[in-house]
Amino acid sequence: MKRILTLLAVVLLGISLVGMIGLGNGKVALVLDVGGRGDLSFNDMGFWGAARAAEDFGLEVVDVSSATPADYLPNIQATSASGEYDLIIGVGFLLGDAMNAVAPNYPDQKYAAIDVDTFTANQPNIMNLVFKEEQMSALVGALGAMAAAHHGYRYVGAVLGMEIPVLFHFEAGYRFGMDWGLQKYMEHEGLAEKPEVGLLSVYTGSFDNIALGKSTTEAQLAQGAIAVYNVAGPLGIGDLEAITEYHLNARTETGPPYYFGVDANQDWMGFGMHTLASGMKLVDVAVYKAIESVVNGTFVGGSNVFELSNGGVKISKAKDLLDSIEAGLKGKRIEYADQYTIIENWAENRNTVPAWIWEAVDELEAAILDGSIVVPTANTTGEINAIRDKYPLL
Amino acid sequence: MRENQGTSESRLLRGVHRTLTGLHPALESLLAALVGMAVGAILMRIWGYNPWKAYAALFRGAYGSAFGRASSLARGVPLVFTAMTFAICMRAGMFNIGAEGQVFLGAAAAITVAFFHLPPGLHLIVGLVFAMIAGAAWSIGPALLKVTRGVHEVISTIMFNWIARFLVFFLVVNVLVDPRRAEKTLSIPVSARFPVLVSRTDLSYSIFLAIAFALVIYFVLWHTVVGYEIRAAGLNPTAARYGGINSKRTILLSFILGGIGAGLAGASIVMGQPPTYAMFSGLPMITNTGFDGMAVAMVGRNHPIGILVAAVFFGGLTAGGRTMQIFASTPLEVVRVVTGVIVITMAIPELLRIFPRIKGELVKILALIRKLHQKRASQSEESP
Repeated sequence: MKRILTLLAVVLLGISLVGMIGLGNGKVALVLDVGGRGDLSFNDMGFWGAARAAEDFGLEVVDVSSATPADYLPNIQATSASGEYDLIIGVGFLLGDAMNAVAPNYPDQKYAAIDVDTFTANQPNIMNLVFKEEQMSALVGALGAMAAAHHGYRYVGAVLGMEIPVLFHFEAGYRFGMDWGLQKYMEHEGLAEKPEVGLLSVYTGSFDNIALGKSTTEAQLAQGAIAVYNVAGPLGIGDLEAITEYHLNARTETGPPYYFGVDANQDWMGFGMHTLASGMKLVDVAVYKAIESVVNGTFVGGSNVFELSNGGVKISKAKDLLDSIEAGLKGKRIEYADQYTIIENWAENRNTVPAWIWEAVDELEAAILDGSIVVPTANTTGEINAIRDKYPLL
Repeated sequence: MRENQGTSESRLLRGVHRTLTGLHPALESLLAALVGMAVGAILMRIWGYNPWKAYAALFRGAYGSAFGRASSLARGVPLVFTAMTFAICMRAGMFNIGAEGQVFLGAAAAITVAFFHLPPGLHLIVGLVFAMIAGAAWSIGPALLKVTRGVHEVISTIMFNWIARFLVFFLVVNVLVDPRRAEKTLSIPVSARFPVLVSRTDLSYSIFLAIAFALVIYFVLWHTVVGYEIRAAGLNPTAARYGGINSKRTILLSFILGGIGAGLAGASIVMGQPPTYAMFSGLPMITNTGFDGMAVAMVGRNHPIGILVAAVFFGGLTAGGRTMQIFASTPLEVVRVVTGVIVITMAIPELLRIFPRIKGELVKILALIRKLHQKRASQSEESP
């Protein structure tokens, strides 16, 4: 009897040990702000990066959305207090305050914060993952301004979210890029002065109101914007819808007005018909790297900057479209039968902008890469106002 | 003495409450909650989530730990105030859905204390007074429109809500803005914050203000002449007027009392909710506080004590909804559907009870719209 019991105990112990190994290498929590999943942009990218890492390293990912900003602190607190997670990733600047408040209480818990740098940089257990959004926004802005001048449009548009430092990076780069593009256009066409192209930019105060994105875009199109740059994650779905409807009403299939995607490669959306380019910010890569560092034991707190030179930000090219189609097929966002239509539409739409403009964008990219052009950025109201004064773009 | 005042009143209440199921109101609510949970469970089953695991996570998150309990209470605090706003006017026979806008104003007024220094405590009180004045001031508009011009409060408060929203949005971005962080207003200074009650949670001393406010309103409504007049006007306006009650005064008073509550709700959010103690551009933090308060009032039978209980329950749903994601991997969308179903079933008893009144109001509003249409039609016939 005693031997049987001992045997049973050993077997049970064995099973439980195997069970523990079978559970995998750990758990990662992904806390999202009010934008939430399903934006095909910023928030989804955070999830895609974590999901890819989970597959590669055999981890479990739990994503926690926030219904209101009042949930930020409790969500980070609850995931921290549970002690179950090897890494807690805050996807979005807005979670910064909450992470900053909770992290000191759990010195052994590792955190990664996307887009948060300006005020949590000295927390040893937070890895800050920040981007130089001004660089790819400058490329998008230059493209938009030159296309507007070429097609005779009066404005280039931008629909932004809240007035956070991250979005000031976008605006600063966009303004700089537009100015550069107009200068370039003047030189190329041999004009005496810069063409009259202005910027329409609206801070909607929202990262989750898709309808607001649509109505703001409609207003900008009505005022004569050639394109609208989505700088508010989920709102882009509404932006693109407005542009698509505009084309339906005008009975056009390609050409202006265009949509500029953000964060993810959004060129494929709407069958690739109206997105001229996307200002890509590889949130998924950043999330993947953070998880990888925890798995490899190389996690260190502090700032990690993603920029043009290390591929952290870029303007979308053909290769990126193919990659996003491949990922879209895998994630069932894109139907197998549609992929060639998307590529065809995309190429046709891009051809509505002359080749020299695309070459000029490449030229600006090369200049930023070799450091001969430094794109200005802004973090505070004062700094962005200085840039607005320098590049008024009325 | 309490016995004397209580008996006839409580008999009436009990009579009203038992019309539907013949059950004690608490039992009735419990039954409604169970029905709601059952429907939620079926929905989760259909969508492929484990309802047992999800509800276990809900209760664990809401009431299973000190942190959860504190978090549940913290979510309930602002809702007590806005539920009172709705309940007071409901008792006076009006549908005041203006709490939403008054909360915005109250929060904005509270933020203004960041512009000056005062000793701790006094600073907090000044902020609360500002918020009360702002909330009450914003409620006077619809009240005056109703008293002087007969404008229906549903229409005017909806309009005032939008005006408040954009006014406060403007103030947040342009006037109250933090010069170092443009996405938010200045933070309330430490001397004007409600101290945190349970450390490492977002529960602050504002909970005592909420309880006190509910008790004060209870006392005013059931133990003062003014309160008697408000309730009498609500039960039967014609009889009340015949009895010599100044209906204009009761309308104004109930709106102002409600406005004070909504203003305090705004203050309790910006002064008592860590970590930011500020409003964000787009007002995401305070949006829907007023409307959620209406649901709490319904579940709490428009009674201060019922509202306190309902707010704890409602806060628990919000706090537990978060942990459903963390411990049961139920997506937020499903969580919202399930908690929504539970809230609706719990509000049904009270909704049915006041249905005749709602129907009456709807008929009135429809008649008004029809009249406007006719007027416009006859005008357009004349003009060309």
